[in-house]
Amino acid sequence: MKLVQGCLLAGAFSASALAAPYLPKDDGAVLERLPLRRADPAAAELRQLRTAAATRPDDPGAAAALARRYFELAMAEGDPRYVGYAEAALRPWRSDDAPAEVLFVRGLLKQYRHDFAGALRDLQGALQRDPRHIGARSWRAAIYMVGADYAAAREECRALEPQAGELLATGCRASVQAATGKARQAYGELKAALDEHADAPSEIRLWVLTRLAEFAWRLDEPAAAERHFRDAMALGLRDNYLLAAYADFLLEQRRPKEVSVLLRNWSNSDTLLLRLALAGKAAQLPETQAQVKSLGERFAASALRGERLHLAEEARFLLDLKGDPKAALAAASENWKTQREPRDAAVLLEAALAAREPKAAAPALRWLDESGFESARLRRLAAQLR
Amino acid sequence: MRILLVLVLSLFAGLCKAHKPSDSYLTLGAEGHGLRGQWDIALRDLEHAIGLDADGDGAITWGELRAKHREIDAYAFARLALRPCAIQPGALLVDQHTDGAYAVLQFTVACGEALPGELELEYSLFADLDPTHRGLLRARLGARTLTAVLGPERPKLALSAEGRSGVEQFLDYAREGVWHIWIGFDHLLFLISLLLPAVLATPRFAPALWDVFKVVTAFTVAHSITLALAALAVVSLPSRLVESAIAASVVLAALNNLWPVVQRGRWLVAFAFGLIHGFGFASVLADLGLPQENLLVALVGFNLGVEAGQLCVVAAFLPIAYATRHTWMYRRMVFVGGSALIALVAATWMIERVFDLKLGLI
Repeated sequence: MKLVQGCLLAGAFSASALAAPYLPKDDGAVLERLPLRRADPAAAELRQLRTAAATRPDDPGAAAALARRYFELAMAEGDPRYVGYAEAALRPWRSDDAPAEVLFVRGLLKQYRHDFAGALRDLQGALQRDPRHIGARSWRAAIYMVGADYAAAREECRALEPQAGELLATGCRASVQAATGKARQAYGELKAALDEHADAPSEIRLWVLTRLAEFAWRLDEPAAAERHFRDAMALGLRDNYLLAAYADFLLEQRRPKEVSVLLRNWSNSDTLLLRLALAGKAAQLPETQAQVKSLGERFAASALRGERLHLAEEARFLLDLKGDPKAALAAASENWKTQREPRDAAVLLEAALAAREPKAAAPALRWLDESGFESARLRRLAAQLR
Repeated sequence: MRILLVLVLSLFAGLCKAHKPSDSYLTLGAEGHGLRGQWDIALRDLEHAIGLDADGDGAITWGELRAKHREIDAYAFARLALRPCAIQPGALLVDQHTDGAYAVLQFTVACGEALPGELELEYSLFADLDPTHRGLLRARLGARTLTAVLGPERPKLALSAEGRSGVEQFLDYAREGVWHIWIGFDHLLFLISLLLPAVLATPRFAPALWDVFKVVTAFTVAHSITLALAALAVVSLPSRLVESAIAASVVLAALNNLWPVVQRGRWLVAFAFGLIHGFGFASVLADLGLPQENLLVALVGFNLGVEAGQLCVVAAFLPIAYATRHTWMYRRMVFVGGSALIALVAATWMIERVFDLKLGLI
């Protein structure tokens, strides 16, 4: 293990050594572009929250608000640095008798680290202190969905109904339905709910439109999926997840050039850099090699830190960009232990097929049978494996 | 309310993001009685910690970074200790890593009279601002490279050059010696230039072997003498002069094959120029760092490693040269063509080293 770490570290250094340190010649030379300018409203909000947390170090509310804002930024931008900042903000409150808001944000950070059991516990703690906490309830449902525990997710959605608005509650329920063989019904109900709540805030609309696009795609209706994706994009919000989902859709539709344009400025996010490289490979673009190299370095760097939070992406990288089905299968199998969403299943099935080890796909095939998940692509893969 | 909504929209989404969290790269190497170091810290992280974007336009320029040089040094080096030595900040440079631009802080570590047997490294950069930050360390002490990941869970680390036994150190340095011959093309080309004519002067194997033996021994004795003198700091020469002279020695040895001036006494040539090559080996050894109490072990180990590497080259070269010595291939292509090529390559090096240029040909 030490040896592996040593090799990885040496690799990280030699990769960085290729570009030797230099002395810029011009004072005006721009070295780095920051995600926020000082005048941006988001930056002003952050400054305010930071000041509040600094001037009231005993106030858990101020710390939780700051941590929560950082976490949202991490989600929007796909930038993990904000997660570190959020953890730092919550540091003074580590005990289990912390206020609801602290427990809630701490739960989010735990799920980010893939400590799902710990996250569910913290979120439950938040709900005990504040039974009407919509965020805690929603995230519990989301975590159960990732683990493919649909019964538990359904339970959380039901508990959500009295507090949350109709659109959100329908979205929660529809997500479970769409994962368990009732995508048509889920799509219809959610679409009707959205039409009814045309005045919903754009953040909610974005989420609902993304779900609708995914459901339509699953139902093999690419034109409808495309329309929903475009409507969601037109809201003008930055959302890493939406971009990843839309890029996956375009890649499957064999439209890689559009992905390259869509994600042009998003190479900072690893999830999106992976899509950029996949698109580049499909369209035979010259920058693909550099992107693949950069991805490899990032995966090596996080392995070095002892973190593998991105196993599904790593498996996809190994399978499609490195042509190493055995390593891809190992990563995809490991990933399936904690994450069981459709894309996790897809990469496991494909890797098992490519590595000619159909037995390794058994857990994903079982999930496909038991859930009744509708997807022509996954069914095709399953048929090939059987 | 808005915050809540943004959060909820993440429902069922974004649970498995991939990322590049904050890392710094810390490199340490021995130099004289102390260490020299380089610390690459992301501009993004420095912006978060002390603020670099003076005009708030979302872009960090070299001017803005340079203006904060002192502040950055003060901040960073308050969070790194190498006890019992003292860190002296140096130049500020810039480098690109996979996730953006980094400030490169160069520094030296002064330890007084001699590098102590053990150093205690303590790392606490960004521990208060980002608990997920890690410092990736690579330290080269003696002939040994140590790597580690530093962070809140592992803020302290004992660095020791002499944690290894004498035998281990000897082998470490011997390995470095072999490696240096293998990658040190100038030494190899010099030796080969002198060996090329050995099989042509005589029809029998024994005299050819004797000739090779004399050349290799003379070269070895000569560079061992200067290597020892330089390593023990009895004699020291400027490295540019040494490197230029080494390149010149290769040129002359190769040209001597094309227009023979010295034939019988090639071992004398090997001895004379071997003295220069010894200074070249010494500078490599100095970069590795020499353990104070095991100086002799390191010196002998490194030298024997060089000899072993050299013998491998000779053992591979001689039988092939002897077997093919009558062929047109050997006489025209290898001997004449090879010598000309070596002279050309070495001449390029010589010009580069004398005038401190980069011609980029080889």
